[in-house]
Amino acid sequence: MELKDKLEILADAAKYDASCASSGAPKRDSVDKDGLGATNGMGICHSYTPDGRCVSLLKILLTNFCVYDCQYCVNRRTSNVPRARFSVDEVVKLTQDFYLRNYIDGLFLSSGIIQSSDYTMEQLVEVARRLREEHQFRGYIHLKTIPDADPRLIELAGKYADRLSVNIELPTQDSVSRLAPEKNVHTIKLAMGSIRTKLDEKDEHPKAPVFAPAGQSTQMIVGADASDDQTILNTAQTLYGSYKLKRVYYSAFSPIPQSPSSVPSAPPPLLREHRLYQADFLLRGYGFTAGELMPNAGNLALDIDPKLAWALGNRDHFPLDLNRADEGMIARVPGIGLRSAKRLIDLRRLRRIRWEDLSRLRCSLKKLAPFVVTADYKPAQGAASSELLRRTMADAPQQMNLWPELQAA
Amino acid sequence: MSAIDQQRAGQPLLVETFAEWREAARELLVHDVPPEAVTWSTPTAGGDLFSGAPSTAEQPHNSSKPPSPAPDAPPRHPPPHVPRSLMDMLQSAACCRVPDRWAFLYRVIWRWQQGEHEVQSPADEDGARLNAMVKAVRREEHDMHAYIRFRERPPEAGPPRFVAWYEPQHDVLPQVAEHFISRMGKVSWMIATPEASVLWDGQTLHNTGPLVKNSEDLEDTGEALWLTYYRSVFNPARLNQSVMQQHIPSHRWKNLPEGKIVPQMISEASVGARKIGQYEAVGQRKGTTIPIAPEDAQPERQQPSKLDECRRCELWQFATQAVGGEGPKKAKIMFVGEQPGDQEDLAGQPFVGPAGKLLDRVCEAAGVDRESIYVTNAVKHFKWEPRGKRRLHKTPAQKEIEACHYWLEKELAHVKPTVIVALGATALKSVMRTANVTLKNSIGHPVFHEGHWIVTTYHPSYVLRVPSEEAKREAFQTMVDSLKLAHELLNRQPEEPPA
Ligand code: SF4
Repeated sequence: MELKDKLEILADAAKYDASCASSGAPKRDSVDKDGLGATNGMGICHSYTPDGRCVSLLKILLTNFCVYDCQYCVNRRTSNVPRARFSVDEVVKLTQDFYLRNYIDGLFLSSGIIQSSDYTMEQLVEVARRLREEHQFRGYIHLKTIPDADPRLIELAGKYADRLSVNIELPTQDSVSRLAPEKNVHTIKLAMGSIRTKLDEKDEHPKAPVFAPAGQSTQMIVGADASDDQTILNTAQTLYGSYKLKRVYYSAFSPIPQSPSSVPSAPPPLLREHRLYQADFLLRGYGFTAGELMPNAGNLALDIDPKLAWALGNRDHFPLDLNRADEGMIARVPGIGLRSAKRLIDLRRLRRIRWEDLSRLRCSLKKLAPFVVTADYKPAQGAASSELLRRTMADAPQQMNLWPELQAA
Repeated sequence: MSAIDQQRAGQPLLVETFAEWREAARELLVHDVPPEAVTWSTPTAGGDLFSGAPSTAEQPHNSSKPPSPAPDAPPRHPPPHVPRSLMDMLQSAACCRVPDRWAFLYRVIWRWQQGEHEVQSPADEDGARLNAMVKAVRREEHDMHAYIRFRERPPEAGPPRFVAWYEPQHDVLPQVAEHFISRMGKVSWMIATPEASVLWDGQTLHNTGPLVKNSEDLEDTGEALWLTYYRSVFNPARLNQSVMQQHIPSHRWKNLPEGKIVPQMISEASVGARKIGQYEAVGQRKGTTIPIAPEDAQPERQQPSKLDECRRCELWQFATQAVGGEGPKKAKIMFVGEQPGDQEDLAGQPFVGPAGKLLDRVCEAAGVDRESIYVTNAVKHFKWEPRGKRRLHKTPAQKEIEACHYWLEKELAHVKPTVIVALGATALKSVMRTANVTLKNSIGHPVFHEGHWIVTTYHPSYVLRVPSEEAKREAFQTMVDSLKLAHELLNRQPEEPPA
């Protein structure tokens, strides 16, 4: 099979993994050195596909042969899809060629399970080893870890890769046993735990050997089982706390060719995935807890973002005096982000905050108006009810996509 | 001629680089020349057109100062001190192609010098513009890092091996070249732009004439693979054009090879293929299932222990694994702690963290062999609550202690220790099977309960936590005494405690 054909199949098979970031690697460069590649910690998106997702890595499977039968996965053994397998050399060469042309920042390599977990993991590690040791490749490498693989292989993977990920895939143990019979939440957690232990060692003993400097991440598929957003966010929070994850990725379940009847035939709204990302950001960056964002069972609101939803449900914290409140609380005001909160605090050291300042900082005035007090502004007495505010601030209703075929015309 | 002389002579100041501007600005500031009194000119495109124009269209900060200093006036100020952060911003903003850039930068630095430090803040009118310029330049740098596409030249053409064409909107080529030097190592390349071109020969950077004048000048077979990849990573079921367009401004697409196939991909995605999310060329190939029996596909993994499968309470959900006891099966003394902590939860063993180390020291001080003791916890799963990105230990509730007693009973039945040392209140409640006991009343008063002596002492983490050195020593000594007591009790006749 030609390289192009393999690439077609194995890139197609890898696209359901939502992870794409190439950030968090330590600074490296190739000035005056043999080999190739630099990282600056930030990561760069080199392109965007028409699904709005960025391309920053060569994201492929080593092979889409797989002995597992995960129902949500297009590569499951009972799925009738074209199969292919890259050689280690082919992946190494493709990565370098793409890198030289500035298409990518590095490689994201994953694989179907072939033969055994250990065998599969060894192959993934071998690609990374060759890139790093034989070709002195200094770009970004992200390896998907096979949870059942020998911890020594995981340790080796962390020596070569910037990031490791173990995908939890589904938010509850029950769903995993039902939809991914060969997987096991217990071993997934153990793998994440062993990665965290290694990351801790590195933190405590800076001289310890390099281990996955960009940390670990995971992915949850949304809408393949009946779990609601409360369950998903609680699971995310548990994982963040337990395993020092850099990111939890949420991937709205995509209908796959010849879908088995155990998974839904329609995707969940993409907006649901988007709201989960927003909520996740509030967990990571703003100090919200899952319980604050989702006090009750169910899904996040689709019409308003989770921060606004929280503020409307917690009116007793507001209006907030921007000339007195602490930074963390200012950042909780809808329409004011982390950066603006910091800038307001900085400015406050020089003078009092006025309404004008908010518009210059490009805060969303419409959103924040009912929630703040400044030197020259107070929301009207007897402020509007949360219900009313919600209606006025809801995102424009989503265009119903009844005739997608006609839209392209 | 110095800046101040030119200015006195009524000539516009000619400035080409940031370094030149900085020199001139320093001199002007030292002589207290207000921004309204200076005209700047720049030789780049449009320079002549604007050189005579007022430095900025509006002058919101009118000054009543005289427009220029008296001839031969001595310097009025020491050279200005400008913080690094502002200098960096000025330097970035200087790359922004706006006709009045030098005049504007001078007004900013002038205002800073006057003590108007908010000029750096985006909430200030000038500050907002400064920040916007910096942002535009950074964005352009970023875009150039991201969207330059190198094409490979045939080996017989000699260096440079890779060539790119790009049309930057601001003067960012020098810093962008640095980026590619660090990325490409000793590989040679050239970046051509409408204004200037740079060539990296693997060791040195040269300013040269362009080898190419647009992005189509070279054939490169590598590009076909990239287009294949680009097509295949796209999920047609998620078509979301507007997001794509938000990220890459439309004028960029024309120089991106993938830009040319986007319209076709979008129209294909809108018919048919959208339903299954698969790229057409893949869907048309012959598929295969993997003939392997489900039993054979099962990974070889250790069976989870019975304890791991426990669902008697909720705690298992948030923990990594259950942590059972450890030690000789016929130990005479059993330590019962509260619950595994963060590290125990990851390691799957009790008392491996700092508390475990302290326990070792207690044993040593009491002259008891640590290896002869069986160590376990009242509750087998780690109970915690999130605090930022960490797990904060949370004391188990009585109902969890009760639920988990099932496992402690099994261990007791198995090991049959003579003495149980309860470490802390939770352990005490668990072994006594009641919430109505206190640490205070139990320490130093062993009781005989359900066939075992029960000695109560502190939990090692209490010793680690207690703030004063003295209290620490006391608590440690209490633990040592308790352990000595436990040791003595091994040989004492069991007697029922007084009623
Ligand atoms: S804490 Fe104890 S009772 Fe609760 S699930 Fe874990 S082992 Fe079972």
